Amino acid sequence: MLRPLLFALALLLVLPACTTEPQPEDAADTGALVIYTGRKQALVESIVDRFREETGVDVQARYGSDAELIAALEEEGARSEADLFWANTAGALGAARSAGLLRDLPDSLLQKPSAYVPSSGQWVPVTVRFRVLAYNPETVDDADLPASVLDLPERTDLRGRIGWTPTYSSFQDFVTALTLLHGADSTRAWIEGMKALEPKAYGSNTPMLEALAAGEIDAALTNHYYVQRMLHGGDEGEYEEDEDEEEEEEGDLDAPVAIHRFAPGDAGNLALVTGAGVLGAGAHRVGALRFLAYLLSAEAQEYAADAVHEYPVVRGVRLPPYLLPFEEAVRLSPTLDFERLRDLDGTLRLLRDEDLL
Amino acid sequence: MSWVPGVGSRGSGTLDIRHSPFVTRWYLWGPVALVVLGVLVPLGYLVVRAFGAEPGELASLVFRARNLRLLGNTLGLAAAVLGLAAALGFPLAWLVTRTDVRGQRLVTLLGVLPLAVPGYVMAYALLATAGPNGTLAALTGLVVPRPGGFVGAWLALSLYTFPYLFLNLRAALLGLDPALEESARSLGAGRGEVVRRVVLPQLRPAFLAGSLLVLLHVLGDFGVVSLMRFETFSYAVYLQYAASYDRVYAAWLALMLLALTGALLWGEARLLRGRRFHRAGSGAARPRRRAALGAWQGPALGAAGGLGLLSVGLPVVTVLYWLGRGAEHGTWAALGAALWDSASASAAAALLAAALALPVAYLGVRKASRRTRLLERVAYLGYATPPLAFALALVFFSLRTVPWAYQTLGLLVVAYALHFLAEALGPVRSALYQAPPQLEEAARALGRSPLGAFFAATFPLLRRGLVVSVAFVFLSALKELPITFLLSPLGFDSLAMRTWGAASESLFSVAAPYALVLILTSTVLVGLLRHRVV
Repeated sequence: MLRPLLFALALLLVLPACTTEPQPEDAADTGALVIYTGRKQALVESIVDRFREETGVDVQARYGSDAELIAALEEEGARSEADLFWANTAGALGAARSAGLLRDLPDSLLQKPSAYVPSSGQWVPVTVRFRVLAYNPETVDDADLPASVLDLPERTDLRGRIGWTPTYSSFQDFVTALTLLHGADSTRAWIEGMKALEPKAYGSNTPMLEALAAGEIDAALTNHYYVQRMLHGGDEGEYEEDEDEEEEEEGDLDAPVAIHRFAPGDAGNLALVTGAGVLGAGAHRVGALRFLAYLLSAEAQEYAADAVHEYPVVRGVRLPPYLLPFEEAVRLSPTLDFERLRDLDGTLRLLRDEDLL
Repeated sequence: MSWVPGVGSRGSGTLDIRHSPFVTRWYLWGPVALVVLGVLVPLGYLVVRAFGAEPGELASLVFRARNLRLLGNTLGLAAAVLGLAAALGFPLAWLVTRTDVRGQRLVTLLGVLPLAVPGYVMAYALLATAGPNGTLAALTGLVVPRPGGFVGAWLALSLYTFPYLFLNLRAALLGLDPALEESARSLGAGRGEVVRRVVLPQLRPAFLAGSLLVLLHVLGDFGVVSLMRFETFSYAVYLQYAASYDRVYAAWLALMLLALTGALLWGEARLLRGRRFHRAGSGAARPRRRAALGAWQGPALGAAGGLGLLSVGLPVVTVLYWLGRGAEHGTWAALGAALWDSASASAAAALLAAALALPVAYLGVRKASRRTRLLERVAYLGYATPPLAFALALVFFSLRTVPWAYQTLGLLVVAYALHFLAEALGPVRSALYQAPPQLEEAARALGRSPLGAFFAATFPLLRRGLVVSVAFVFLSALKELPITFLLSPLGFDSLAMRTWGAASESLFSVAAPYALVLILTSTVLVGLLRHRVV
């Protein structure tokens, strides 16, 4: 029995060498545009459906966290079938650029957004979100909350009553920004100070906000739109053509959840840019560029504002009344070149050192 | 058995099946090689990947304090789940075997049905029931704090795994000879002493077998601990894989988890070694007299019913409630797609597993030797390997060795089949034991080729066993989460992934239809297989 086994083993080792590498033409033949995306499935599906309807281009998406997808792209290397990387964070796009995964984009595309276009010109911003501190106004007074996120560890009365999401990409972008703005030592000190508050770690933001509304915690480091979604509903629903259909998930205006903004320029108000870039290994460059152009169209931008409460990057898109005006929100955020947020590796190392990953 | 070469024999030399060169035929060694290589080679790549780091970094990964905490969490959870599962499973088994409880068949069914509710659906049900927005608050106004962390994971896993202990203990209790207990009583032992010194020791193998299954589930579980946010090895492997680049540390954690599983298997084998539990007297065991419950009938039924409500009723009611609260537009189309993807991949895996189980079981039963026993061990190793570790190993292996297979439906199907092979092996093996080898030998003597003889004489007798094998693997693959998670091809949508994905975002109404289909399909299959497991 041993001999056939050895034979099979040898076969297994020889076989891959014999088979021809999959040719890029193969991918072109199937015709489907392949998107790797760190964004939520419901959001992506809605936009992809509409894009497919308009252009007839077939799209396939692989979902995962930003970090997971970059790791997958690096492992797949030149064999990757992915054409487009649509990321949740600027940090991931910066990392993808550093890894040489992205291609240069044409100027016509780069001129569309009104802000946050990276100097490299290898990805475009699609929407903007902002970091906030969400709190329960029934138990916490906004006036008592600190002006800087760096002072949050001093609020010892919040011990065990504060939530964060150390494994979530937005939080990791925030830590990267903190490092850029205040240095590695202050960032480490902040994390250690926060850990002394015994925060509850959540895998993602929605359950954390649920916990906040349920009174299990009193404050949560999160992104603005999770609060808006809890109050005003939306997201995760299908892309509705008829606005008056009552399919959207309803919000709860009475939910005990409010937004605290730190002082202007504070890292706690960081703008988080989502964006997309065309991958070097992909076979569908034209289709990918078309999809990027669609993401920056008024239609898709308005959808993002309405349904997921994210800020558009293209001028002239109507904002829902309950969102802070864009210029106001931008003024609150610290200014930095978003291309510099790419040291995701350093952040992950720090979080691992601190036992958060 | 020796045999005079028959008139119609085409083969040269002896027809003795046990010593024929039969074993080297492609249709036997082909599948066998696939099993052995398919299980062992990927695990090898896990080791390769783990040692791929620089020595300094390696040491910092292996000796992290965090690993100790993960070990503590994992062991603590495993012990607690085992305790609660035993506390639920043992009394229930006692009730249906030793007492005159009414509705015995129904109570027995209550002990089996939780198998139809996957752990992550159970976790989802617990999360969606409690809290101010939960089912309970909406229906009764009662707000219970939402379970999370250790307590949540403990409850969900115990409610889902206790049937493994129940089934094993029930079978053992039914098999005990009442004469032993009567002798002990006649020698002056009190009731309690009889239970302690006579009954419990005899239940030991059943308890160990059931415990092993419970513990393997706890070690391998990913869905429950991730939804409940309790950090065990499995969850940590996933976090490293999904939330950071670090594949090396993920490989290390997977290896540590694997070592833990290995220790468990070794421990079980040791505890069972050299013990005898069968009857030594002549004749058959007499049926036992059942204890009359009397006034305890009501409370006993109430307790069993309560357990059923918690382990089966709760998930079903929760899912139905959230389904009513808002099935979104387009849900049904997506549900259909997910059901199709799930079912087709699981069906292919089930057929492949049965096809692989056939030669492995055949060699094990008809050519029993050290080698074939080793072969079966390998099949069980694939089953015992925590699914996340197994899937991770296959990712590394396929990217390095067979990149064209990476992210294909084929690899997913092979992964399911190899992981669940052990489940297919059992029924085929018992059927083979019952199929007389003489039939096949007669067919050979009448001139059939070895393969022809097998299909003419033995195969028809195995059909029932094979159907059960297929059903078992289909059910398991349908519910499987972590393997699907890591290996599913582009555009592949599964019920398990949809349920987990929506539940982890607290989108309970989105998760509801998928969870419902999972529960229904599993219930039907568990119902069909009831006579097999009960």
